[in-house]
Amino acid sequence: MSMRPTDEAGRLSRRELLRQAANGFALLPFADLAGRQQNGGALVRHHAPRARSVIFLYMDGAPSCHDLFDYKPRLVAEDGQKFGMTMEPTQFNSRGNTLGPCAKFRQHGESGQWISDLLPHMARCADKMTFVRSMHADFSEHTNANYFLHTGHGLQGRPSMGAWVGYGLGTEAEDLPAFCVLNGGLVPPGGVDNFHSGFLPAHSQGSLFAMRGAPVANINPRESDQRQRRKLQLARSLDELSILREGSDPALDAAIQNQELAFRMQTAVPELLEIEGESAATREMYGLNSDYDKTRIYGRQCLLARRLVERGVRFVELTCADTGSDRWDQHGGLKEKLPKNCKMVDQPIAALLYDLEARGLLDETIVLFGGEFGRTPFAQGNNGRDHNPFGFTMWMAGGGFRPGVSHGATDEYGYKAVEDPMSVHDLHATILWQLGIDHERFTYRFGGRDLRLTDVYGRVVRELLA
Amino acid sequence: MLRPVVSAMLGLSMLSPAAAQSPAPPAPDSQSMETRAQHWAWQPLAEVKPPQEGHPVDAFVAHRLLRKGLAPAPPAAAEVQLRRLWLDMVGLPPTPAAVQRFVAEPSAAAWRREIDDLLASRHFGERWGRHWLDLMRYCETLGHEFDYELPNAWRYRDYVIRALNADVPYDQFVREHIAGDLLPEPRRAEDGSNESVQATASWWFPEQTHSPVDAMQHQADRIDNQIDVFGKAFLGMTVACARCHDHKFDAIPTRDYYGLFGFVQSSRYVQAPLNPVATTAAPYQTALRYQRNLDGTWNDAGHAAAEAGFAPRPDEVVVADARDPDEGWYRTGDAFGDEPWRGAFCSNPAAEKPRLTRLPGPFWLSCAAGPRREGTIATRSFELRHRYVHVRTAGQDARLKLIVDGFHVVRNPIYGKLHRHLTNPDAHWVTFDVEMWGGATAFLQAIDQRAPDLGDPKHNRGVYPDDAWLAVQTVLSSPHAAPPATTEPPPSIEAERTSLSEATLDSLTALHTACEALPVSPTIPAMADGSGIDGHVYIRGDHETLGDDAPRSFLSAVPAKMSAAPMNSSGRLELAETVVSPDNPLPARVMVNRIWHHLFGRGIVKSVDNFGALGDHPTHPALLDWLARDLIDNGWSVKHVIRQIATSTTYRQSSRRRAHAERLDAENTLLHRQNVRPLEAETVRDTLLSVSGALNPALYGRSIEQPRSQITKARGKPGRHDPLDGHGRRSVYLAVRRNFMNEMMLAFDQPTPFATVGRRNRSNVPAQALALANAPLVHELCERFAERVVAYSRNDAQRLQFAYLLAFGRMPRVSEIHRLLPFVEDAEDERATWFDAMHALLNTTEFRFRR
Repeated sequence: MSMRPTDEAGRLSRRELLRQAANGFALLPFADLAGRQQNGGALVRHHAPRARSVIFLYMDGAPSCHDLFDYKPRLVAEDGQKFGMTMEPTQFNSRGNTLGPCAKFRQHGESGQWISDLLPHMARCADKMTFVRSMHADFSEHTNANYFLHTGHGLQGRPSMGAWVGYGLGTEAEDLPAFCVLNGGLVPPGGVDNFHSGFLPAHSQGSLFAMRGAPVANINPRESDQRQRRKLQLARSLDELSILREGSDPALDAAIQNQELAFRMQTAVPELLEIEGESAATREMYGLNSDYDKTRIYGRQCLLARRLVERGVRFVELTCADTGSDRWDQHGGLKEKLPKNCKMVDQPIAALLYDLEARGLLDETIVLFGGEFGRTPFAQGNNGRDHNPFGFTMWMAGGGFRPGVSHGATDEYGYKAVEDPMSVHDLHATILWQLGIDHERFTYRFGGRDLRLTDVYGRVVRELLA
Repeated sequence: MLRPVVSAMLGLSMLSPAAAQSPAPPAPDSQSMETRAQHWAWQPLAEVKPPQEGHPVDAFVAHRLLRKGLAPAPPAAAEVQLRRLWLDMVGLPPTPAAVQRFVAEPSAAAWRREIDDLLASRHFGERWGRHWLDLMRYCETLGHEFDYELPNAWRYRDYVIRALNADVPYDQFVREHIAGDLLPEPRRAEDGSNESVQATASWWFPEQTHSPVDAMQHQADRIDNQIDVFGKAFLGMTVACARCHDHKFDAIPTRDYYGLFGFVQSSRYVQAPLNPVATTAAPYQTALRYQRNLDGTWNDAGHAAAEAGFAPRPDEVVVADARDPDEGWYRTGDAFGDEPWRGAFCSNPAAEKPRLTRLPGPFWLSCAAGPRREGTIATRSFELRHRYVHVRTAGQDARLKLIVDGFHVVRNPIYGKLHRHLTNPDAHWVTFDVEMWGGATAFLQAIDQRAPDLGDPKHNRGVYPDDAWLAVQTVLSSPHAAPPATTEPPPSIEAERTSLSEATLDSLTALHTACEALPVSPTIPAMADGSGIDGHVYIRGDHETLGDDAPRSFLSAVPAKMSAAPMNSSGRLELAETVVSPDNPLPARVMVNRIWHHLFGRGIVKSVDNFGALGDHPTHPALLDWLARDLIDNGWSVKHVIRQIATSTTYRQSSRRRAHAERLDAENTLLHRQNVRPLEAETVRDTLLSVSGALNPALYGRSIEQPRSQITKARGKPGRHDPLDGHGRRSVYLAVRRNFMNEMMLAFDQPTPFATVGRRNRSNVPAQALALANAPLVHELCERFAERVVAYSRNDAQRLQFAYLLAFGRMPRVSEIHRLLPFVEDAEDERATWFDAMHALLNTTEFRFRR
């Protein structure tokens, strides 16, 4: 990269910019943009980070931990009997008998973690995972709980954790946003506000990548590259004249630079999505040849997540594909629907962990798996589970988390977190910590308050950290 | 390991962390409330005079500039001024004719004339109305899982546009927002419809879920949002910060927060008719008279009048009873008349089989003046101390709802039991089992309206029929599962028309004609009064931990004081009068500052929604107070203040930067020049419509939905869709659905509707550039722009002149013609070439920015 005249803030001078623009729009080196203006990101670094990126495998609808991770012999023994604890009000207020797990549990790996037979591939990764078996949330409706898990607040309008991370750390990718959401097809209740920047600057909001059609809104040019370039060059040359006459302004310079980034993204995004270059073994590993089309979709998302992290994107979130099971929200039909969801994500996620590890990326990437709350250990109807915010399981891998351990516990029915309960705020605080951010010092002034992702709560759960 | 490389995305932002720009906050809790009340914003408006001769605004501004050794910038070029004025006043680019007119003679008189014309334009309200909608977090759905519609919400948008066009005095505008349903003399439109009530729709834009496990928590969260908007929009105060503890910095104890809480808790959601027929009006009385006549003409021997054949048991609480009509009933609309109905009536006089009903004893009846009347009747609020609520009722296709803890979105899975669809035209008991909600505060609402209810399961299947009706007599709170033993009178009579006497048929016809003569009014979401509820402080915001009493009251730091709120109503009317009283300096200051913000891109107080200790200090405090006083002295005329500012040379300055001035006033806080600003989302789209000739200048009406292709697959998606160009309608008419926000609008920083946004983000993201380069809408409109330009003349230079007039409001310079001519000359494909040239114009910064 050649040296160019810049002002004291590191920006290219306007004259230099216009000179380049006049010489050829597409020739402008975008690598420069990174060093040009530093006022956009907060550039937070409170201590040495342990991780560089986050991949959030978001299980929309709330998976049933009783059937996947949280093994409770008593639940097996008392299946179909009257539930042995006081039952709290639930969303549907249909509170039936104890419902045992719909699959067999076994211990896996050297660590002996309990995982059910519904997740055979993930089970092979048991020694890479850090289980938190004592999560709890503040809400038992999807939308509130989704906002809460994403933004630390149960109502619409706050920034998503990906936006906070992107805002605080920026991205190392030169032509991709800091916070990318790979949308498998389902938009969770609460809508895209789950990925929004709220009161943070709009550039920190999650950019949605669709898995079908155009991956990013308006990313596909509607004419040839040459024709578009010629047209935009004309626009630049007219800009030059009007700016010379009416005067320059940083906002105008920024808009011009922005247009060039957009032009560059038109190439970068399709390149990112071009996964045909991946080896046959990799594609097979991720489940891209699976007989189940939802596994193929989710496998592609997992593979893209790795590619995004490789390119320096800071926060990647994956939403699920539609298995026709109403997300992971099995109020009924649990035994039939849950295996479909498991099949969708099991192989791709295991592949992601292996692949990240093989490429030396797992150490610096936090992989986070979970939903917005748990489900009841007692039945709704005879084959469903209602919402349960009092106790559920999430797991992390990589990114400086202690592999192969379990933290906390629910009671003997798996109903409520009783041992080392961990709140959603604690989760946020801990993830930020691994990224080098002290959640209590990471604030943004809005509406008269210095607001945080963790509100006024949260504790870094150091027991989880290597 | 980590290189601190900031992305291009971040690097391009024009925003920087707000914390870095704001003054260091005072240490929390270190000052008494009395000390905090000394903060400038609470003080009365100062009596100030402009510090020098000339235009008052210029005098204040020049005075500060001079002290800093600065002079104002020279005036902007005439065409730059004109484009600025049009964009600011009406959100549209100037027409070529306007440009030519003004540039030919840019005199002071001509400038004034332009201002007056634009203030008189009906597009003024569309532009400034959208600013107001940002404050009210305007939206048309409730969000959450199913994104239920808020029926007829769009009428509020029209109300705002009309009010701004009519220059309704701002104090009246505020009064209407707080208590428009309660004004003794509501403001009326030419057709007589009630304008004032429509403003109260703005209370109903919080998000609402369909099935909260804890309705009281849901209510507390909703009211928190309502208080937040109330505080920020009208007072510039972050009152909602005092929900869990005394405000950390401002003179707002948590007691004040819960004092406001009571006003909202004492109010209810209804669909209010815009133009109800007065029950005292002659045609209404005529209909009632024909209804009464039936009693004598319809031969119903053996159908003796019966009195209510039951008595409440000693352990039951009579919540409300029609035999005591003045106690505990709250009516809206024109269906229920002024007193309960006694005797016989016919609910379907034009039907094949008319039905004569004789209800036992007095009932509140919704169809005495015909089944088309609409309204609601509700009881006082009462505590659910007993497990059952029995309602003595009758009706067809109307519904009863038990509203618990203010939760109106009554439906399954949890709340379905609190909703009943009436299908029995004879008197009967309806019983609600409220075991789940024991101890909660509730009221019964009986609804006879076409508009669907919030979260109504019928919502997707159409509206309720015209001929729905209901009657209600008694509401009991009871420990007994069964209603009181009741002697039921004989059922009503359904007769073939042929079996009826000539006289009866004549009476039915007369009744029907009289009823049909009464117009049916459209409705709007609105506030309605209920019992006065004085609550408690919720300690740390927790509704299960009650603290001190918190009777309804206004902010204690404001000198304006209100008397105790009445117990039979919400007290919002008294609140409204206190808010706009001369002893409250906040509304006028906050409003003139908003106007300033929209004309200069930055308020005199930069934090337009927060005048508190954590907000910014005014850059020109004397000017702020002078403008506030000017607003009040001129009948609270918003247009007057806009005119006052726009006629100043401060407004007309060039935005061109001067090195010397930039050094002394880098942030331009002293206004040594105008500010360059990007066009807002709506203005981008409206300007595209305008240059392409596709702009449809029609005002008002149902919202324009997104085209089918852009509706994402998710729950609650709209059933309708409109073409890509939205029929050319202005962007203020685009539907605002919480879960289906318009992506292009969002990319250009239209706020999501969750809180008051007086100052929009001005972001700079690739999505904006991608939209202008590639969006189908931009291409479609650009095609039309190019066709229009090509059709204008055969001469390339003339075409370019026309294009420049449309897109930039000016003639092109020779240098520009020189760059463009080679691009378009000798084109092989004229259409494609001109498309590209025009598309280039739309991708310039001159198009995207106002100078």
